[in-house]
Amino acid sequence: MSSSIVRTPEEIAARVKALEAIMIEKGIMTTTAIDRLVEIYENEVGPQLGASVVAKAWADPEFKARLVANATDACAELGIGGLQGEDMVVVENTDTVHNVITCTLCSCYPWPVLGLPPNWYKGPEFRSRIVREPRKVLREDFGFDVPDSVEVRVWDSSSEMRYWVLPQRPAGTEGLDEKALAALVTRDSMIGVGPVKAA
Amino acid sequence: MAFRQDATELGDARRRVESLVGPGEQRAFNEPWEVRAFAMAVAAYHNGQYEWSEFQLSLIDSIKKWEDGDGAEPWSYYEHWLEALETVLAGNGALSDAALDEKTKAVLATPKNANHHEAHREPVAVDPAR
Repeated sequence: MSSSIVRTPEEIAARVKALEAIMIEKGIMTTTAIDRLVEIYENEVGPQLGASVVAKAWADPEFKARLVANATDACAELGIGGLQGEDMVVVENTDTVHNVITCTLCSCYPWPVLGLPPNWYKGPEFRSRIVREPRKVLREDFGFDVPDSVEVRVWDSSSEMRYWVLPQRPAGTEGLDEKALAALVTRDSMIGVGPVKAA
Repeated sequence: MAFRQDATELGDARRRVESLVGPGEQRAFNEPWEVRAFAMAVAAYHNGQYEWSEFQLSLIDSIKKWEDGDGAEPWSYYEHWLEALETVLAGNGALSDAALDEKTKAVLATPKNANHHEAHREPVAVDPAR
């Protein structure tokens, strides 16, 4: 359609409103259904869900094995799943490998565990640069230094397979329960652009 | 007081998310229309209007056109999202560009305060004493 037309913010907002009206007239959706989706994705689905999965994996080695073998099934055990979560793959950070996720073509992202992606994840700059010079982007854009002794792997999500990162459990957390562990897990650590919090 | 409790839970959920996500560039949406466009794409998919992969290919296509362009248009992720949604809905006959243009004009012609542009000095409803 008419992508080359530059629209004012008012025109775009009006176009979206008009589209919604047409979809409702045609019975394709209801205002209630749209409102509910907005509420779910703005408030309920978010990285706190992924954090709880990571914490469980840290606390329970058998669950972690299942998570690494099949992330979608393991998350389903915890009642976590849905659109853009059908084929999730967890990549595990180790002492020698650090993982980062991106989507080079658009913005594929594991919604059920991380919520919706932040603006920078969807932007053209991150998507192209993280592939060309990942270590530099992590250091300069995110202030996150990955030691030279650690290999950096960048994973390209698509509609067929969506990656996310299982960060390493920080030192000194032996006595913490899952809830306390989950509080250490940041969204950026599950994208691979930042650390988990220190205990 | 169920409503109040819901509101509080929602508020708590939002605070939990914000503590993890932060403001600004870290946000998923900048404008109210973006979240509506997002939700409509999911709702139309749930309604069986298209496969999610069709929508994603359309989104990739729209972004690619921008990347191949001269950079004159500012980057707006959700404009690509909207274009992708319009394209897949037009592709299966659920939407016509002309109808959407016409409806958009009607929306723009309707003042924001169409029903609230003058003082309403009387009660809007009265349930008389018995």
